[in-house]
Amino acid sequence: MDTVNALILAFISIVIVNNLVFTKFLGICPYLGVSGRIDMAFGMGMAVTFVVTLSGTLTYMINNWILMRLGLDVARYVCFILVIAGAVQLVEMYIRKFFPSLYESFGIFLPLITTNCAILGLCLFLDLWGVGSLLEAVVLSFGAGVGFTMAICIMAGIRENLKMADVPECLKGAPITLITAGLLALAFMGFAGMIR
Amino acid sequence: MIVSYCVSRIAYLLFFVASAAPGEGVGKILLAGAMMLGLGTGFAVVLLIASKKLKVEVDPKIEQIHAALPNLDCGACGFAGCGSYAKAVLDDPELLGKCAPGGSEVLDAIASILNLQVSDSGPAKRPIVHCRSRRDQRTFHAEYYGIPSCTAANALANAQACKFGCLGFGDCTRACKFDALHVVEGLATVDYDKCTGCTACSKACPRGLIEMVPFGQENMMTVACNSIETGKAARSMCKVGCIGCGVCAKQTDQFIVEDNLARLDYTRYEPSEAAEKAMQKCPTGVIVYRGPTAPEPRQPKEKPAAVAEAKKGD
Repeated sequence: MDTVNALILAFISIVIVNNLVFTKFLGICPYLGVSGRIDMAFGMGMAVTFVVTLSGTLTYMINNWILMRLGLDVARYVCFILVIAGAVQLVEMYIRKFFPSLYESFGIFLPLITTNCAILGLCLFLDLWGVGSLLEAVVLSFGAGVGFTMAICIMAGIRENLKMADVPECLKGAPITLITAGLLALAFMGFAGMIR
Repeated sequence: MIVSYCVSRIAYLLFFVASAAPGEGVGKILLAGAMMLGLGTGFAVVLLIASKKLKVEVDPKIEQIHAALPNLDCGACGFAGCGSYAKAVLDDPELLGKCAPGGSEVLDAIASILNLQVSDSGPAKRPIVHCRSRRDQRTFHAEYYGIPSCTAANALANAQACKFGCLGFGDCTRACKFDALHVVEGLATVDYDKCTGCTACSKACPRGLIEMVPFGQENMMTVACNSIETGKAARSMCKVGCIGCGVCAKQTDQFIVEDNLARLDYTRYEPSEAAEKAMQKCPTGVIVYRGPTAPEPRQPKEKPAAVAEAKKGD
């Protein structure tokens, strides 16, 4: 029971309290770039969730079972990027095959998931936080993806409504988006310290 | 050169590691290399299988059109790159001929791929900068020390006296992917040999000075000014601006004067004696040739004679 409790707490922590977008400011590029429409934002969130779960799990295994044992900690970044790039390629092929319209609308942002720093950040955080078990690593990776999806969907919802709002001329477009992002981050700072 | 540099760096690194911890260092490098190789191979196999399983059939015509395009990704057609234009033109043949750098050759190539016939779309368009004023011919009320960009300078009222002329900070030069536009003595000057007509410069100019003009002749005559100030005001700001006197319009109806500014009707322009005479009689010498072999414009110091002649003509 303790393990389950710990896992649930870890999940809530990574989704809300230590949300990578809101508290670590990682993955801002797709967060602002693809949050124009809520369906696209959700699709991007799903893609990132898949990539981050896969690469988080794989990198945890590679890190703990290969790199640490061989004393090759220096090669961590290179290996992680390799794993992430491979996972993104996989996702790209899958989306192109089964969701062509989504593939079109993502455009350059789909291959750019490779350089989404939320993913590399999560892989490195797993090491930094000293995550003890593979199960916890999987839960944290999946939670990071869910957290990203939540963040980008909230943003997209707000931005869809902002189109109807009477925004001052000088703040239209990027400025009001950045202000919104800042306010959202501030709001989520309220959870800080609740868990861990 | 880069390769030899990299090789020398790697050799140096190897030497450094080997000398610091003999035996162990080299072993570790080999180990790391082998590990990366193993990981890479593993992913390559997975991706290979995935690419076979998830293969998407693409219309071969898209690839043919893509191959026919110049592959410059300049964006003149309004699409993100040659790839997306190829896809769009296959769906909608109305989009044919949007490729400015490719011109008529590419148009014909794409048309033959799509089994279409195209009518002649007229002469290719090239940009003309509607200003001929060099820095020493302009008036400045104050010196501009702001951001060196036309868009920034244009936001200020007094970057230079003339509110219409070329600012010379080179927004167009930076927009040009073909090195065909340079600021010479404060004036944007097109190198027509290098220009492909991609329209990037005309979109970049904050004052809208650069117009895409159908070049019916090798060199086009033009009124190289965009100022709608009255004659007196225009003269006080620029030695070579258009004062809207209408002398040119009296020679030939190819010139039209509106809002104190003469304009040549480019679609009707043909080299003629009347047009040549209008150019000679222009009191400020603002009518010039633009094109790959255009002669140097007349110097404004010939002004008094020209004015006198123009008055006699009246």
